[in-house]
Amino acid sequence: MRIPGKLLFLAGMLAALGVGWVGFPLAIYKSRPQPVDFSHKVHAEKAGSSCEDCHAFRADGTFSGIPTLDKCAGCHAAPMGATVVEKKFIEQYVTPNREPQWASYARQPENVYFSHITHVKAAQLKCEQCHGDQKSNDKPRLYQEDRISGYSRDIWGRPSSRVPLRTEGGMTMGDCVACHRERGLEHSCLDCHK
Amino acid sequence: MHTTRRDLFKFIGGSAVGALFTPAPWRLITDTALWSENWPGIPRPARGEIKTKFTNCALCPAGCGVRARCVGEQPVSLAGVASHPLSRGALCPFGLAGHHLPYHPERVKAGDAQGAAAAVREAVAKCAGNERIAVLDLRPGRTASWTYRRALAGVKNGLYVAAPQPLGGWAVDLAKARTVISFGVPVLDGWGTPGNVLQARANFRLVQVEPVQSRTAILADEWLQVEPDVAAATAIVKERAANGPVLVLADWPELLALNQPGETIAPRQEAPVPDSWKTAAPVTELSDVPNASIRALLIDESVPGAYIPWSEIETKLVRDNPMVVAFGPSRAGYGRHARFTIPTPVYPELTDDIPPAVDCPGTAFRVSAPLLPPPGGVVSPADFIAGLGGLDAANALRERADAIHKSGRGAVFTYADAKSTPVKELQPDDFWKALNEGACWIGNSATMPARSGRGPALPREPRPLGSGHQDSGFTVVFTGSQPGLLVSPILSKLYQESNLRLARNGAVLHPDSARSCGVEDGSRAFLETPLGQCAVEVALDPSVPPGFVQVAAGPEVLDICGASLRARVVRA
Repeated sequence: MRIPGKLLFLAGMLAALGVGWVGFPLAIYKSRPQPVDFSHKVHAEKAGSSCEDCHAFRADGTFSGIPTLDKCAGCHAAPMGATVVEKKFIEQYVTPNREPQWASYARQPENVYFSHITHVKAAQLKCEQCHGDQKSNDKPRLYQEDRISGYSRDIWGRPSSRVPLRTEGGMTMGDCVACHRERGLEHSCLDCHK
Repeated sequence: MHTTRRDLFKFIGGSAVGALFTPAPWRLITDTALWSENWPGIPRPARGEIKTKFTNCALCPAGCGVRARCVGEQPVSLAGVASHPLSRGALCPFGLAGHHLPYHPERVKAGDAQGAAAAVREAVAKCAGNERIAVLDLRPGRTASWTYRRALAGVKNGLYVAAPQPLGGWAVDLAKARTVISFGVPVLDGWGTPGNVLQARANFRLVQVEPVQSRTAILADEWLQVEPDVAAATAIVKERAANGPVLVLADWPELLALNQPGETIAPRQEAPVPDSWKTAAPVTELSDVPNASIRALLIDESVPGAYIPWSEIETKLVRDNPMVVAFGPSRAGYGRHARFTIPTPVYPELTDDIPPAVDCPGTAFRVSAPLLPPPGGVVSPADFIAGLGGLDAANALRERADAIHKSGRGAVFTYADAKSTPVKELQPDDFWKALNEGACWIGNSATMPARSGRGPALPREPRPLGSGHQDSGFTVVFTGSQPGLLVSPILSKLYQESNLRLARNGAVLHPDSARSCGVEDGSRAFLETPLGQCAVEVALDPSVPPGFVQVAAGPEVLDICGASLRARVVRA
């Protein structure tokens, strides 16, 4: 019995499509969990915190980004609740004064200028516009890093390749370009790139 | 089922076509491009909170105040401290790039400190009655210098040798001078405290006496292109004395003796030290050490200071197997001659104090507080040498600060708020804290002490300055005043490509001189003296007079020149 040539060609094509669309995205990224199962939801709902309480602007206008241990220890020097996550956090990080090695989903590459204060204060963008709705996030998702470029999956690639797939804004270059274009702010590469 | 090679090709062809409709090939192309932007060796800017720290530059005795912009704990740019009473807000190009030095490619980060300690102890044990265990301090007057002296007082046959101080240990007050006559001293090019010199410059007339058109000669009010002997130099000074106080700057005591003490020149003053330190070993000059008498020599070149040609040191070492240990951040200096090179912290990692500069007539005390932690494997020479003498000197700086505080004299200028606070109003802890967070103690108002009547001492055997051209070769003229200074590679590249600074292996000749010795512009040659030779790259410059060769004052050239200022240029 002989398989028709067209069928073999089609089989090869389907195999490549499967590998390219399913296998490749799984293989190109390596994943790792965050050091602490931090719950934005608990902090937003139970503690009534807003984004700015922890992710604040400094006096000179620079953005503090992920808070350092000092900030966390301000409230969690001793357990405030009875959760295992909090207990482990205090034991592993607060008591030995060891900074958790957070992986930043939103860290832009070195060739990008990004100013939070320009976008948040001047352009009045909400945090959710780029970072998504974190208030309902009960556990940090895996941090995924491109094995070749070393960039976070959230900041590199076409918006459609983001995980989880979102329709709102994001932090890829495509997202930035789309938003700037929408607002008539698309001037030159050097607006954002070094 | 029979599969042929043709079937395989059809499957592969289908796969290739299918792959084009997936993100894989396109993503691999872009990711590979991005990967090339992120080579492991590409430096990454530090991230973190922007902080400002203050310290004092330890790269030269000027000890300028430094304002460091830090990202997190990483200093990313250095600048001067505005309204600093001594450095006047300025910082030289070397100081501006000082934060690059921990990453210098020539830096040594590992050495056999334990082996060196064992070898020194063995040398101490073997030391005969007339032999010495010596420490050569290239920047005397520091707290570390006192530590060496204290430690050596407890070591059998210990000897503390200090490098000669600029201007023979005298300090000058540029603000008082109306005429400055410089005999080859690079007044406007790395001599003294840059900000202080520039501020005082408007008030004095500068007469530069040297055969080569140096940068100071270009900027001087008057350039005398001569190589005077003592009589001619005296005539030059007397001729200009009518215009007001004259300050004579020279490397030779015969000329320094032409100054009027108490007018523009005075003995350099030292900040107070604890009384218990005063039983330390005395200060000895290398010239006073008997030949072939040093069994073990420890050389501290951890901070840039004077450079003594190796031939002068070598004659003082015992003939049979002397032990030389060099403490420094690189092997470019005495490490070339030492059995052990022990790596030391480099500015801005080190903790050291800076004695008053040559143009600071008052007492001052500043601490170069570290902006970065030193890497593992480096050793503080003060700790090493204190250990040999069984001395605990870990708190020496604090003890010195307490002694200064106890004296109750002077005021502290703090850099963060530009305020001057009398020492009497501070607690000892606050004084110490201020010194470590960027401050300068000034013991008095930088006025000249009363006339003492005694000027710089004349040498025992006056040395004629005129070289006389009695032998073959050229007169060597040095440029640069910091032979042992580690310079940021990026800075030295910019300097050299713009011809602002002579490279360490550069030799500049007049075209006629070059022709006479058969070398051309850009050619390789050897600078040759009876002590040896070193490779140089020749550059031609008509502003260098015939019969002279201008070279950078690097350790290799200084070693082969020794006390002689004559050298031949030989085609390689």
